[in-house]
This record gives sequence, structure tokens and C-alpha cells, in this order.
Amino acid sequence: MDHYKSVHPLKYYQDYLIHDLRPDGRSISKFRNIAMNVDSITTANGSAVVRVGNTCVVCGIKAELGPPRTEEPENGFLLINVDLPSLCSSQFRPGPPSDKAQVLTAFVNNIALQCGIIELKSLCIQADKLVWTLYCDIICINYDGAVADACFTSLIGALLSVSLPKVEYNNETNVISVNEETKISLNVLCKPIATSFAIFNEKTILVDPCEEEELLSSGMFCIVISDNELCSIHKPGGNVLEEEQIKKCISKAKERTVLIYELIQATTFKQKLL
Amino acid sequence: MDLVSSQGLRIDGRRPNELRKIRCKLGVFSQPEGSAYLEQGNTKVLAAVYGPHQTKGSRSKAIHDAAIVNCQYSMATFSTNERKRRPRGDLKSTEMTLHLKQAMQASIKTDLYPYSQIDIYLEVLQADGGNYCACVNAATLALIDAGIPLKEYVIACSASLGNGDVPLIDVSHLEETMGGSNLTVAVLPLSGQIAVLEMSQKFHIDHLPVVLNEALNGCRRIYEILDEYVKTHLNEIGTIAGWAKSDF
Repeated sequence: MDHYKSVHPLKYYQDYLIHDLRPDGRSISKFRNIAMNVDSITTANGSAVVRVGNTCVVCGIKAELGPPRTEEPENGFLLINVDLPSLCSSQFRPGPPSDKAQVLTAFVNNIALQCGIIELKSLCIQADKLVWTLYCDIICINYDGAVADACFTSLIGALLSVSLPKVEYNNETNVISVNEETKISLNVLCKPIATSFAIFNEKTILVDPCEEEELLSSGMFCIVISDNELCSIHKPGGNVLEEEQIKKCISKAKERTVLIYELIQATTFKQKLL
Repeated sequence: MDLVSSQGLRIDGRRPNELRKIRCKLGVFSQPEGSAYLEQGNTKVLAAVYGPHQTKGSRSKAIHDAAIVNCQYSMATFSTNERKRRPRGDLKSTEMTLHLKQAMQASIKTDLYPYSQIDIYLEVLQADGGNYCACVNAATLALIDAGIPLKEYVIACSASLGNGDVPLIDVSHLEETMGGSNLTVAVLPLSGQIAVLEMSQKFHIDHLPVVLNEALNGCRRIYEILDEYVKTHLNEIGTIAGWAKSDF
């Protein structure tokens, strides 16, 4: 059985797809289970661990104080970095960030800043003198497809779990006083959630692909939805699609976004109770 | 501030000869051949093992009668109190990587896999002292999960000297930075062979046997804890898969 899979991987998959099934037992439009945990890393100001099927992603947020940019004296900084280390899959070699990692970093950064996940002005302590810089580092620890989905979910979970100490800046004496006792949490304005799809041929679009399916597919695309609004459709080349197919995928993505919101709500609520 | 209070307790409330709580799990990820997650107190470490596979990169690096062991130690930027700018590639990480490779090479039967490469990747998610020790222990578990033949477990433990004469075991980050001496040892516990030994700061040579003994004892106790866990894990998997007898 395994020989057939190694020699003709595409035919192996097509034999399953004819019956609307995938080798891991899912139908072509079934999503994998998602599990989430927040605030488990105490050295970080906020953290979240998200597991989408086998794909596992950790997001840690560290906050630092510093001066703002002179062109934008009232804006703090939100710097997101996605890392796909060689630990997560044998396809990533040790060394500088791979193309995939750089593309993901740019993708997540663009959407987070354009959607306005956080009001950057809320990170300002004293205009032109002191602002918060939030470094969000997303590390993938097991790569099994649909990393973008896990990245966005973990980013939102981590942002919701951030607790910053209250900082005061005395204008006359230029003294910064940090009050570790009072904790402020962030106001997350919108929650963009990504859903990944893999195109197999003109008729078959697989929802939430795993790594094998990603490698065998003839195209990938990703839909990002936030609060019932379409944030982004990212389709880098690959097989062509019809408008109807894209519309169907958008509605599937909408359903999944609602489920993920419930998960985030339940996880962060549980943390607040503790 | 004294490392050991007058009541005989350390800063985190432990007694001088108490190890931190160890929690571990084998086979946590699907992509690597072997993986493990280990917590020693607040230090959280992930280990992933890929291999043995063909030597990646230059073919000239391959050795004709043994496997190459390739290690990579990486700390997440959010793992320390101050944000760590470079997860890997800085001097300390490179040194740790080399020491880890030397520790694991002492036990892996590399002569069984000529022209191959075994990759061991370590990721520290939260660092609270004893990073090297947690990494060595996690790497051992991951190698066992990958089914790579080892001579023995490689267990590492750290020890220190508090108040000038009290040996402390399993040093936390606060105790490390408070200026006390720090002795780290990686050992093959059953045969008592020392793979890696490192010491910093200074203390009188008369104290060396005491501190070294404390660290070796710590290694033996950690070995028992990890071995117990591995046996339970194999029993569970074996029962599910049907190859283990439920009574042994």
C-alpha cells in the first residue's frame, strides 16, 4: 500500500478524491480540529499555542519601551515575525529564513496592520517620547499544512492574553515609572482569521490541506475574514479558478471563522476566570 | 542575599537537594521521526529528531563508517525575561550547540549508519535556568522516540555551591545569575561515564567532589524519572497497537 503511495502519489490521492474522501478519512470539505491554549509561557507578556490538526504553532509577545518614529509620534509599533525553523519539517533546512517564512511574515504583517488589529495610538504612553513596541514572534513547531490559519489564530489569542504594566512618563523630570502591580490588557479591534485551500484540478478544491496535500496540489489559496468582512484573498498563481468556486470557498471560510471565534472566546474567557 | 536561607530553603522554596518538577511527553509531533517535550520547573524545551537520512548539503561531509550528528540549539525570542534578539547563531547558542552535539555523540551508535546524518533540533520556549540540562534530557527522549540505537540515556544536571559550603542541585536562572558557581555535567548514568563537564565561577578544590557527586546523584534521579516515563509510554503504545503484553 505504501509502495503505491510513494510511486504514484497523485494517482493515490485521485483514487480517494473520486469518492469525495481523503486518505486521512476526511471529506474534501471537512476541517481539522483546532485546540488552543493561552498564556502558558510566563516569560512572555502574552502567548498562545494553537494546534490545527497536527500543525502546531506558538505565538509569544514581548513588549518593550522605546521612542516612536518622528513621522508618527503617537504610534506604537506592532512587529510580527513568523519563523518556520528546521524543527517543524524536514523540508526546511537550517539557515536564513526560507522563502515560505518570509512570505508568511509579510502576509501576516500586511493584514494585521491594514485591518488595524490594534490601534497603534493605544500603545502610546507619551507622544514623541515613549511608546510600547510589541514584538509578536510566531514559531511553527510542527508543520502539517494550513500554517496561515494557525498563525492568525495564535496571534489573536496571544494579543488577547497580553497584560502590560502601567507606565507613566513624567514630562518635567523625564522619569519613567513602571507600576508592575496594575495590568492593562490590549483592545483587539478586529480578529482576522485565515482559511487555507488547496486546488487539485479544475473541479476539486480541498479544504484545510495537510502537508502532503499541499505538496501535491496544483495551487494554494488563502482567504482571510474578520468579523464578517473579507480582509484578503491570497492566491499566488497555480491552477485557475472560477468565480463560483471562490464564492463557495468564501462562505466555507465564513462558517469556519465563526467556529474559531467561539474557540477563542472560550479559551480567553477560561483564562480570565483562573 | 543568601542562596540558602537560615531555615535551609532556597529562593524558590526548595531544599538544597531537591530537583525541580519534571514533566515530559514523547512523540508529540508528527513531522519529525522522534520528538519530545520536557519541562524542568519553569524551563520548557522541545526536541525534534530527523533521521537517520542521507547527508544533506555537501556529500563530502559524509563519513564512510559513521553517521554525522547535527545539532541545532535555538531559543525563542520570548523565552527569556529580556527579549532575545537572535534566536540562533549568536556565540552562546553556538557554544551550546557544540556541547549538545558532543554529549549526544557519546551515546548514539553512529557506526551503525555510515554516510548518514542524524539531525537533532532543540527549541527553548521558556528559559529559567538549566537550559543545557533540559535540552540534553529532551534530546535523549526524542532519540528514544525516533528509535535510534543509543548506548545509554544521556542525562544532564547542574549543581552549585550555596553559602560557601551547601551543595545545591538543579540550579534555576535566579540562582545562576546571583553569582554562585555552576557545575553542569552530562553523564551516561548506568556506567557512570561523564560525557561533558563544565564549570564556571570558582570554589575551593576541596568542594569539587561534593558538588560533582551532588550533580551525578541528580543525574541518576533524573534518569529514574525519565526511564519510568518511557516505560509507561511504551506500555501504553504497545497496548494500543497490540505488541506489548499487558502483564510484565
